[in-house]
Amino acid sequence: MPTLDDEHFKAYLKQFRPIVPEPLPAVGPRHRARRTFVLGAWAATAAILVLGALTLHVLTNRAPVTETVGNVGNPEHLQASQPLTMGSANALMARAPSFKAMVDDMAFCSQSVPLPKGKRSAIAVLGKEKIKL
Amino acid sequence: MHRTDGDTSEIELLYRQHGPALLLFAQALTGERGRAQDAIHQAFLKLIEKGSLSQVVDKKAYLFACVRNTALNEGKLQNRNAPLDPDAAWFSPADRDYAGEQNLRRALQALPDDQRQVMVLHVWGEMTFSQISDLLDLSSNTVASRYRYALAKLRDSMLAKENSCANS
Repeated sequence: MPTLDDEHFKAYLKQFRPIVPEPLPAVGPRHRARRTFVLGAWAATAAILVLGALTLHVLTNRAPVTETVGNVGNPEHLQASQPLTMGSANALMARAPSFKAMVDDMAFCSQSVPLPKGKRSAIAVLGKEKIKL
Repeated sequence: MHRTDGDTSEIELLYRQHGPALLLFAQALTGERGRAQDAIHQAFLKLIEKGSLSQVVDKKAYLFACVRNTALNEGKLQNRNAPLDPDAAWFSPADRDYAGEQNLRRALQALPDDQRQVMVLHVWGEMTFSQISDLLDLSSNTVASRYRYALAKLRDSMLAKENSCANS
């Protein structure tokens, strides 16, 4: 090594290149793995939400059917949608073997549905009349 | 802070650009290749986790500061002062001048720690005295003075070694 002034000696030193470090170990794979994990988490969350919505939808639609099926054997329920009018009461009386049997039949009828305007309940009418048995 | 692929690419580019000088600096601090390598890996992985370097004005000085802090913290945690490894190469010698590499490495190892740091930062880190003074929290005059002393010692040491080899 020749005797050099400061600048030349510095230039001589710079000819020696520092050793290149090992590549960063986890940059590529770790980031890819992390990105895959995030995407997977989002996909799983979306799938759970969709399944939940579908289940809720199915359960909501099944509820009225269950109720209907459960009430099939209930005569009160079947007749609740048919308000008892004078006409239907006369029809019942014509078909019934006796007045008592007709009243018994009517006892199972519900008046939960409001009567149309201008029509009166047969029970209300019959209740006011004096009928000879 | 949200990290993007662009930020990661920038940090990887900085690693390729300044990695060798940072490794040499970490070796000058820790004395061991393995610990030096770990220090710069830790520093860069922290940077990647942290995100963008867009707010940093002087990226190179910032990187040296990160590596220095990491190496010093690691040294404190391990609570040891390992002697410099005399056998592990620090440089890729030009023209296969392995004897010159060993001569330079031993001359550098013989320098006091503070002078060795300044020498490495200025010659191979290509940092100005002003940047080094910010990094080491010293005045620019002190940095320049340490550099002059270090350069003179290094030259004398290398010449003496060459002369002794030539005479033997």
